[in-house]
Amino acid sequence: MSTWGIRPFFIRHLLVGCMLLSGLWGCGPSTTEKLTLTGSSTIAPLASELAREFEARHPNVRVDVQTGGSSRGIADARSGVADIGMASRPLNGKEMDLFAHEIAYDGIALILNTENPVDQLTDQDIVAIYSGEIDNWRLLGGPDQAITVVNKAEGRSTLELFLKYFKLNNKQVKADIIIGDNQQGIKTVAGSPAAIGYVSIGTAEFEVSQNTAIKILGLGGIAATISSVKSGDFPLSRPLNLVTSGPPEGWSKKFIEFAQSDSVHSLVKNQFFIPVNAH
Amino acid sequence: MNDGQKLDSGITVLIWLVSIALVVLPLSMLWDVVREGLPHLSFNFIVDQPLDAGRSGGVGSLLISTFWILGVCLLTTIPIGLGCALYLSEFVIPHSQSEKLLGFSLDVLAGVPSIVFGLFGYAVFAIQLGLGFSILSGGLSLACMVLPLFIRTAEQALRTCPKGYRQAAIALNISHAGFISRILLPSASGGIAVAMIISIGRALAETAVLIFTAGYVTRMPGSVMDSGRSLSVHIYDLSMNVPGGQSNAAATALILVMMIVLINVLARYLSRRWQHVE
Repeated sequence: MSTWGIRPFFIRHLLVGCMLLSGLWGCGPSTTEKLTLTGSSTIAPLASELAREFEARHPNVRVDVQTGGSSRGIADARSGVADIGMASRPLNGKEMDLFAHEIAYDGIALILNTENPVDQLTDQDIVAIYSGEIDNWRLLGGPDQAITVVNKAEGRSTLELFLKYFKLNNKQVKADIIIGDNQQGIKTVAGSPAAIGYVSIGTAEFEVSQNTAIKILGLGGIAATISSVKSGDFPLSRPLNLVTSGPPEGWSKKFIEFAQSDSVHSLVKNQFFIPVNAH
Repeated sequence: MNDGQKLDSGITVLIWLVSIALVVLPLSMLWDVVREGLPHLSFNFIVDQPLDAGRSGGVGSLLISTFWILGVCLLTTIPIGLGCALYLSEFVIPHSQSEKLLGFSLDVLAGVPSIVFGLFGYAVFAIQLGLGFSILSGGLSLACMVLPLFIRTAEQALRTCPKGYRQAAIALNISHAGFISRILLPSASGGIAVAMIISIGRALAETAVLIFTAGYVTRMPGSVMDSGRSLSVHIYDLSMNVPGGQSNAAATALILVMMIVLINVLARYLSRRWQHVE
């Protein structure tokens, strides 16, 4: 009867692998505290940056940020899979057993080129422009110039928020230019007098302060400013929430307090969001 | 030219156009990645940690995570996959019920969308077995997805072994184990290397399986129990989720393409050398 005296090469590899694995297992940090966040992919990049900063201040804590969407964040916070969930929307009626902690806001403003004399558009005007019913600024009191409609690319959360607010379907939108991120939208509108676009308010205000050739339009008579988003008056906005199943304790509490503190405002702004305490 | 000839030449032109499109499409994709990514690629990009959600910094820790995930995946896939392929090619009676059943289940598994493996891996490895979001969960989920592909390709390679080798081995009273380790595996090593390369290619490109298992954390992994973001997940996040991440997404994609080419070359070289040694 044959034996396995000559070990086939994969057995050798398997043994080496097992030793390697068990070795790696042993060197995992065992004394550190671990905090897990899951949820909204919109918040995840910001939360990762907050986590890195938090870890730098508390070397014995590790903050792991995972993504998967707001619903996952809420479900994981409730089930205890995550210490903190992330949700880029307010909690709804069925979720009132949870605790939401706002860490930032996301608002969207329509922008025009500074050369455009039009200063105000109603919601109906905007719907008509984006669905192609109005295609010339003359009809809105501007110069006789075709409107260049700038829309966001599929999959961007700003696009979803914009479409939802104006009750539009992306297929109805007659876009002339499709853009990816905020910077691209601002450059496009700043360089084209007949363009209309929409970008994150935080980015737009920063660019206006840098004398970029754009102006921000109000919505429904409310000025699109960081403070109107913060006060909740501006309609096209949403809070970015950290969610816990009970009142936060221990490191969760420390992390949430850190995420809401003034010291992280630059981190929040870098991700084009509006910090909670900004005025 | 009669009608038949016209039809023939028309179809010839059509086939040429299709084949040119088949060459142009991947080349133009590659060109896009190189054009956008190359200006951002540098030594520092390869070794640095990602900063500012990946807009600046590099992909150093993600490269390590990717290698570890791939390592766990291959350490699981190769023994189980090779064993299964050997069983299929050596022990299962051809055209029997059990061969049909095994073949059918492998083909079904190979056709399952990767997000299903992702959710399965999350539910089983991360939650049920308590491995959490970790490189281990990610690698094991990835192995589940890659296994049917690896088994099928390795099985094909093993079946190409000439009948004469087997007859000669029996004539010389070489044991079955000796035949497998000394003759069958070396003679099929080229094909097994191809199976590995295909599996690695699938594994490196995978995003849906890993985002809910290996996770999203960009920190340098300290053990396989840590969560670690793979290059593919990083590319996905930068291009879909991070404003201003496009150029670094392209640079990361370029690294991934170069890695696949490198692994391809290395595997071919090693399998050729191994064939000579044995």
